[in-house]
Amino acid sequence: MRKPRVLVVDDEEQIRRAVGRALTVRDFDVSEARDGEEAVSVASTAQPNLVVLDLNLPGIDGLEVTRQLRRRSGVPILVLSVREDESDKVAALDLGADDYLTKPFGIEELMARVRALLRRAEGQDGPRPLRYRADGLVIDLGTRRVERAGEEVRLTRTEWSLLEALSEHPGKLLTHRWLLERVWGPGYVGDVDVLRVFISQLRRKLEVDPARPAIIATDPGVGYRWVLQAENDPEAVAT
Amino acid sequence: MGINGRSGPSLVDRGTERLTPLLDRVAIHSPRRRVIGYVVAIAATITLTAILVPVRGDLTPLSKGFGFLVVVVAAAAVGGLGPGIVASVFGFLQFNYFFLPPYDTFIIGRSEYVVVLFVFLGLSILISVLLARASSRADAAESREQELRTLQTLSAELVSAVPGPETYASVLSRLLEVFGFSAGSLWTQDPMTHDLIERVAVGGPSGELSPARDARTDAPPERLPLSVGGRVLGLFLLRRERLPLTPAESRVMRSFCDQFALVLERDRLLLAATEAEAYRQTEEVRKSLLAAVSHDLRSPLAAIKASVTDLLADDTTRTPEQTRDSLASIDGETDRLITLVSNLLDASRIEAGVLKARVHAVDLAEVIPAAVDRVRHRWPELRIRVTVAGDSSIVKADPVFLDRVLSNLLDNAAQACREGDRHDIELESRRSDGSVTVRVIDHGAGVPDATREQLFYPFYQVRERHPRLGTGLGLAIAKGFLSLMDGEIWIEDTPGGGATLAFSLPAVVAVHAS
Repeated sequence: MRKPRVLVVDDEEQIRRAVGRALTVRDFDVSEARDGEEAVSVASTAQPNLVVLDLNLPGIDGLEVTRQLRRRSGVPILVLSVREDESDKVAALDLGADDYLTKPFGIEELMARVRALLRRAEGQDGPRPLRYRADGLVIDLGTRRVERAGEEVRLTRTEWSLLEALSEHPGKLLTHRWLLERVWGPGYVGDVDVLRVFISQLRRKLEVDPARPAIIATDPGVGYRWVLQAENDPEAVAT
Repeated sequence: MGINGRSGPSLVDRGTERLTPLLDRVAIHSPRRRVIGYVVAIAATITLTAILVPVRGDLTPLSKGFGFLVVVVAAAAVGGLGPGIVASVFGFLQFNYFFLPPYDTFIIGRSEYVVVLFVFLGLSILISVLLARASSRADAAESREQELRTLQTLSAELVSAVPGPETYASVLSRLLEVFGFSAGSLWTQDPMTHDLIERVAVGGPSGELSPARDARTDAPPERLPLSVGGRVLGLFLLRRERLPLTPAESRVMRSFCDQFALVLERDRLLLAATEAEAYRQTEEVRKSLLAAVSHDLRSPLAAIKASVTDLLADDTTRTPEQTRDSLASIDGETDRLITLVSNLLDASRIEAGVLKARVHAVDLAEVIPAAVDRVRHRWPELRIRVTVAGDSSIVKADPVFLDRVLSNLLDNAAQACREGDRHDIELESRRSDGSVTVRVIDHGAGVPDATREQLFYPFYQVRERHPRLGTGLGLAIAKGFLSLMDGEIWIEDTPGGGATLAFSLPAVVAVHAS
């Protein structure tokens, strides 16, 4: 099996080299690009399995690169941003980027995200997770039943749709916009408060300690992430 | 009505005040023309009689009557209704007495002459009335036109002028001239405190005319409030020494004041807009500066953090070479941070003015190699050639500042080289008159003429691929240090392409033992 190839896009040479080195010693093939144009062309020639993309690029920026990459493929995109680019980060995720890291970051953190993204990308053709089980909680998406300590938990229709939307993409960061559009429809895209209310209802019904959620994690200002491990996917690791 | 000065300097209670007509009479004809009219009426009638009496037998009564009608027309045209009526009645009597047979008596011989006589009287009175009315209209129109012309002249000056006290002064003196006042001043109200402030004084020293009192005449001045939409902006004060304004003048004055108030308001808004724009620009520069500084600080930190956490992770094996490579990159990025942080500190200390140069004789031959070695260590691929002419090595400088200047110029040249392909830098020093000039010559992309001006400003950076504001502090700091040591810095073109940064410092007259 060939080594997974990662395309690292950053205009700062030192960051590109540091990330490249770390990936190389961990048995990845690494391609590099210094700007947006190069990123798009290398992505089409090198066929990477994953793209690590800095948002702040000279020429065409990271958002535009995301848009162009998404037009052609579903290659996982991990966005690198600095704190000032908060809104760009959300925009990139809305455009189809899969996850993000804020600079400066530790290499283990980067590796964990990279591995999770690659694993999800590989598992995309496999069966969807059907059952989750944790701390006396059983969620069965097949029979649409949730039990806590042996007792059925009743969910409203909206709560069910939200639960399905989240649990279908374990580990993936889902933006407010994506969730609102998926569960409520395109008209609700700006209505983050509605989403917040339903998330907290869902947490009260599912989580052992809703104040410290272990099933639905919050990414402040960006979205939510289903972090519960699926029963029929023993390898999955919460990121 | 602006003729009393009893109320205090506050304008608020006088905001809706208007100039009302000072004299409620309507001047149609000037008194002089009226007198001429009467003279014409009497004299022309008598003259006409004198001329016609000798030939009165040859003329029909009707044709003689027409002659008197001409006199009536003339009198009414010149003097208006009064002279017209006088000419009519006087003509009527003369016509009757001298020209209707039997002559030289008021007795009328034939009944048809009675008709002629009264037709003459009726006709001439009618003509007088009509003419007087027409000419009074013409007069009114003319005086209205005059008002408009005055107003137009004043407004044209007002509108075309640039805002500011000089304009206000020239408009005010024009106003005084047109209306025959000898002194006046413009006061505006501070929007915050509502205090009245004198902006312009014409025809007397500033402060002579105050809202309550004219110091010269010891009487309250004429006050003309300037207000827009009920909001008082200021007032004109005029020395009260001429006759009261006529209603026409007062109308013109009022309109002019309204216009002037609008101009004051416009100027105030213009000023506010300019201030807002300046603030916005400063704010923008501040924001991009902050972004640039945080980008330039964070990039090396991010690279260091990534490399260090990579080395710390024990989930992998690496060759000694890979480890060395990581460490070298950490070392390089740490240097970058150190340079940046010391530059930021230098810049803020120069800016704050807390640095003082301790100037003494410094040998360039000692200072230059140290700076060059540091750059060589950082960028081993660069070739740096140093030429220090024998008579040019000793300068008056602060050695610490001089070292920072050299480092920053060499860093700048190194950066330019790395972006281009040539890796040569030349450093030379020459003596000229009382100073020594040091040149740092690179063969990079050079600096476009348009951006040379900003080159020595803090935070400006010429970047080949990134035309954005960066933490380009090096040259600004070099300039700051040099000016503390009575030195200068400038940029030249390198023949064949590239930039040459040159600086000069006072030379020390060396006492050669030879």
